[in-house]
Amino acid sequence: MRIVRSAALAIAGVMALAACSSGSTTPAASSGSDAPGTSAAPEAADITLWVAGGDTPQELRDYLITTFAEQNPGSTLTIEQQDWGDLVTKLTTALPDPANTPDVVEVGNTQSPTFTTIGAFADITDMYDELGGSKLLQSFVDVGKVDGKNYALPYYFGSRYMFYRKDIWDAAGLSVPTTLSDFAADVKQLRTDTMSGFAMGGQDWRDGISWVFANGGELATQDGGTWTSTLSDPKTITGLQQWQSIYQTASNVPATERDVAYWDFLNDGTDGAAPEAATIMAPGWARWSIGDLTKNDAGDEVRDGMADTSKFGVFPLPGVDGGVAPVFAGGSNIAISATSQHQQLARNLLKIIFSPEYQTMLGKHGLGPANSDYVSSLGDDVFAKTMIETAAASKLTPAAPGWAAVEAAFVYEDLFQKIAEGGDVTALAKQYDEKITPMLNGQG
Amino acid sequence: MTTTTSAPRTRRGRRARLPYVLLIPAVAVLAVGMGYPVYWQITTSLHTYGLAQQFGQPAPFVGLANYTRILGDERLWAVVVRSVLFCLVNAFLTVGIGVGVALLMRAVNRIVRVVLQVSMLLAWAMPMVAAVTVWKWLFDWRTGVVNWLLVQLGATSYDQHNWFAQPLSFFFVASVIIVWMSVPFVALSVFAALTQVPDEVVEAARIDGAGPVATFRWITVPMIRPVLAIVLLLQIIWDLRVFAQIRLLQDSGAPVSETNLLGNFIFELGIGRQDFASAAAVSILVLALTVLVSWPYVRSLLKEDRS
Repeated sequence: MRIVRSAALAIAGVMALAACSSGSTTPAASSGSDAPGTSAAPEAADITLWVAGGDTPQELRDYLITTFAEQNPGSTLTIEQQDWGDLVTKLTTALPDPANTPDVVEVGNTQSPTFTTIGAFADITDMYDELGGSKLLQSFVDVGKVDGKNYALPYYFGSRYMFYRKDIWDAAGLSVPTTLSDFAADVKQLRTDTMSGFAMGGQDWRDGISWVFANGGELATQDGGTWTSTLSDPKTITGLQQWQSIYQTASNVPATERDVAYWDFLNDGTDGAAPEAATIMAPGWARWSIGDLTKNDAGDEVRDGMADTSKFGVFPLPGVDGGVAPVFAGGSNIAISATSQHQQLARNLLKIIFSPEYQTMLGKHGLGPANSDYVSSLGDDVFAKTMIETAAASKLTPAAPGWAAVEAAFVYEDLFQKIAEGGDVTALAKQYDEKITPMLNGQG
Repeated sequence: MTTTTSAPRTRRGRRARLPYVLLIPAVAVLAVGMGYPVYWQITTSLHTYGLAQQFGQPAPFVGLANYTRILGDERLWAVVVRSVLFCLVNAFLTVGIGVGVALLMRAVNRIVRVVLQVSMLLAWAMPMVAAVTVWKWLFDWRTGVVNWLLVQLGATSYDQHNWFAQPLSFFFVASVIIVWMSVPFVALSVFAALTQVPDEVVEAARIDGAGPVATFRWITVPMIRPVLAIVLLLQIIWDLRVFAQIRLLQDSGAPVSETNLLGNFIFELGIGRQDFASAAAVSILVLALTVLVSWPYVRSLLKEDRS
């Protein structure tokens, strides 16, 4: 009977806990009095900012906490870090609940439409000009916009560009290509059985869509609120065919691979063995995984960040007729939860984030500032220049309500794999258009 | 006479009530821990419930519409067939190899047996994500030991061979991992059962002229049948619910839509597409499928229990 009693006690305890937690939601929910637009000083409170992953450095977090407390006497800011991996799941469960929602959230740029189209974020159109307006990175602004209203604004951007082994390119008598077709010819020439001219997995559609964008193609277009997958558009087909050819002639990476640690491919192998690739495409931070081995202050073996400029280099992916090809840009947006009970305080936090001081701090830490006035803070070395140049020409994936579903079902991974395996691009495009269009509009 | 019979009867009466009282905590925990989620699951599957409903829009009751849509989806049937095949192959393989290892453990001397037992316990105790990661590295197309070994043995076509590219070889690797992780449980359970087979019976069989195969088939198997049945049942249930191993392997580059099992399909619907209603409907189908697949075993277990 003792077991029964202790079990009963345990259950009673659990129920009491449950009762407590549900009881405590009521005061929190009713305490929010600062509705959007209230001009009076907001009620002091503790607000929460969710940052995604470790991208925001500690120094910037400290700055936000201190500045927020200074500008909003009595109020405090708590910063919580969420993993990228389950960010969407966490947002899905936390945002609808006024008692538990974070007040301001960072969200991946392509994840924004999932939440903006459902009304999860507060309308901040009236703040748009104050926070930077047309100076803000427009591809990110667009992805956070629904029916002309701004719900999510750019937080920081990254970009992707080409990293290459200058020594190998030089030895082959090749210089930095100026057109997309030159690039294709060069990396084809560089490929050997043991070295990819350009290492890219068949499923790496986030790299592959640059060829679509470069040819003026689109993945999907919107007309009157309805999204249509446009893989069968002649321009998109041209881009996909060019990508197919470059994958087949220049890459040794299997067609099912994606998101491989390509930066390793550029480094010399063990005991000075030849690298596995002459060229890769990667986000800017890949730099710190490339170079010769050296010791850091702590005595650990690290890469020197491409210090040897005769051996390593970067260049933007060239466009079809020269210039720079539009690439798919990485980065984040930032938004206020619609159910936040502290809208005014949340808006005050956005003002700090979009202030010249904070934008400059982002740039100094290698994160692309949302406001183009401050991109010079990124520095003026070749990495900063390439980043700014490629980001200016960057594009994002369609801001369709069903975009997250397309990504979750690995549809483009499958499509690009089939193209990489030598499938008929026109037939595949037609087949996948039929599959993707209903998904984009949230119908299965 | 009356006094002797009435005393045990009252004692039996008291005993008859006690087991039910003792069951209350377990049932209560089950009802709270399982009952509510299952109730919620069923309710959700009967409504339209997606991201919009999560954010407060009304969730209209749609009856069995989610089920009819899901059942009419050819993707579901491909996944169901794949999952059931994968589950049965793995369950029988695991039990087969497990019984073999158990027999081996009985045959070898004590030191070897202890080494076997310890290494199996270690394999079993290894956290799943760590185990899958190690296996992924072993089968890596670029730096994997398996490819290297095969090339050393003369199979040069395995240089840079990608095991995850084709669904069949993908599932081969997945089976290796799952069987490797589940054999210890089967082997140790069956070994424990084997120690309960009386030596006299085995000896009598041998004197009657039965060889090792006949002894195993006609003496050992019938005597350990209850353990075999329950171990097989558990394997079938576990292998039907496989999710994380497949997900982790897919992350290393695989044709995702052709390698999804039921768990992955539900994850894609619910977590990926935020179509919580369809995900709930498929979950209920998996529950039904589990009952269907395991029912014959449960029934025979119950029958044996009764006799």
